[in-house]
Amino acid sequence: MARALAAALLLALLAPAGAIEAEPAGDVQAAAAVPDDPSSDSHARSPGDPWEPFNRKVFAFNETVDHYALEPIATGWNTVVPDRVETCLANFFDNLQMPVHFANDLLQGKPWKAYETVWRVVVNTTVGLGGFFDPASAWQIYKSNEDFGQTLGVWGTPPGPYLVLPLLGPSSPRDATGMAVDAAATAPVSWYFIPVYVTVPARSVDIVNRRALALETIREERKAAFDWYAAVRSAFTQYRENQVRDRAEAPKEPQETQDEDLYGLDEDE
Amino acid sequence: MASTKTSDMSRKRARVAALCGALAAVLALSAAAEAESPRVLIQRTIDEVLAILRDPKKSDAARRPELETIARDRFDFDTMSRLVMATNWKKLTPPQQAEFVDEFTRFLANDYGARIERYEQEQVEITGERPEARGDFTIKTKIVGGKNDGALVDYRMRQKSGNWKIIDVVIEGISLVANYRDQFREVAGNGGPTVVIEKLKEKNAAAPKPS
Repeated sequence: MARALAAALLLALLAPAGAIEAEPAGDVQAAAAVPDDPSSDSHARSPGDPWEPFNRKVFAFNETVDHYALEPIATGWNTVVPDRVETCLANFFDNLQMPVHFANDLLQGKPWKAYETVWRVVVNTTVGLGGFFDPASAWQIYKSNEDFGQTLGVWGTPPGPYLVLPLLGPSSPRDATGMAVDAAATAPVSWYFIPVYVTVPARSVDIVNRRALALETIREERKAAFDWYAAVRSAFTQYRENQVRDRAEAPKEPQETQDEDLYGLDEDE
Repeated sequence: MASTKTSDMSRKRARVAALCGALAAVLALSAAAEAESPRVLIQRTIDEVLAILRDPKKSDAARRPELETIARDRFDFDTMSRLVMATNWKKLTPPQQAEFVDEFTRFLANDYGARIERYEQEQVEITGERPEARGDFTIKTKIVGGKNDGALVDYRMRQKSGNWKIIDVVIEGISLVANYRDQFREVAGNGGPTVVIEKLKEKNAAAPKPS
């Protein structure tokens, strides 16, 4: 979370990605919330985004939802809730996501990481007073952010075309599948043990709180963008690829090619 | 620098060696030696930026131009302009290209100043380096402490007339150059590459400090 935010602060674009990393629905939604896009009608000029016309519509919808609902609520939240408390809440909800990360650590064949994830939960739940504080990070037990979308990537599944989901924000067929699998694996547990009158408000608090933490970042990034849709798409795609690649140890071919392209001065002739 | 003119080469080398000898003392004393290694340059940049941010006597208004000056010195905006415009670069006339570089420089320097301003309580650690294609070099850094604890920031460097310059900043895998390239492709796709220049002008005019 801190990481995602950090990056976001610098480049902004991270907001969407950070969202996914931290909590599937929360920030993604935030990130997806975007202002007017001047170039809304460009016709699939971008490689990797054959669904661009559709995506832009959904993106605009998400933006509207953010503009009229989520952002104002988060702004109100932000004025009432102290920053420290916001961070504690984010820590708390992060801690609850650890089973997902643990399972995906294992699925990706990273037993050491899985072990660290368990340690993190133990430390943060006890010393960190139920997960509201994050002493584990101070002790260099860093957070695992594995999700099933990344696991599929590590197993060799390509992400497929860029896809913007209503309310959930930037994704891809692979990542959307991953999100569904992660949710399906954890939701029954919470449904069974925790009553709806707890889960629904808790979920809402989590979403609003994360949006509140990203308020400034997203505002700045929107301001710096020339085409906010393209900025978010580019950031999300790069961020997810990086997440998968980091874990996949061997550098991936497509990245190399993209890299060549990206830093060459002469290919334009 | 192939093998054909060996005598010429060795004469040149001798001259260079002599020069080096003469200048060695001066260079040794100068922290800002020519052809600073990428790593040293990034370290120096980090130190300078943090010194500005932490100077309690400086107001935000005083800091901004200093940060922008550093940005203008360390980034190779000329190369970055070509990279972000990619195929659209050749569609601009030379005067338009010059205009683009000028406006993009202002935009990025301002943007860099605005972003970096928020970093005062943080430390930056150089965690490694990696040679890249085309003789480029990447210096890897990590932010320690503050809100962005653990964020990874890579600087891609390229040598230009003997000096290393930053040509891209990659945060958590997100390349600034790739990001603006993707945006400019869209913008240029809706009305041609000159629209990008117009948009840059608009942004720069709206910036609080167009320096």
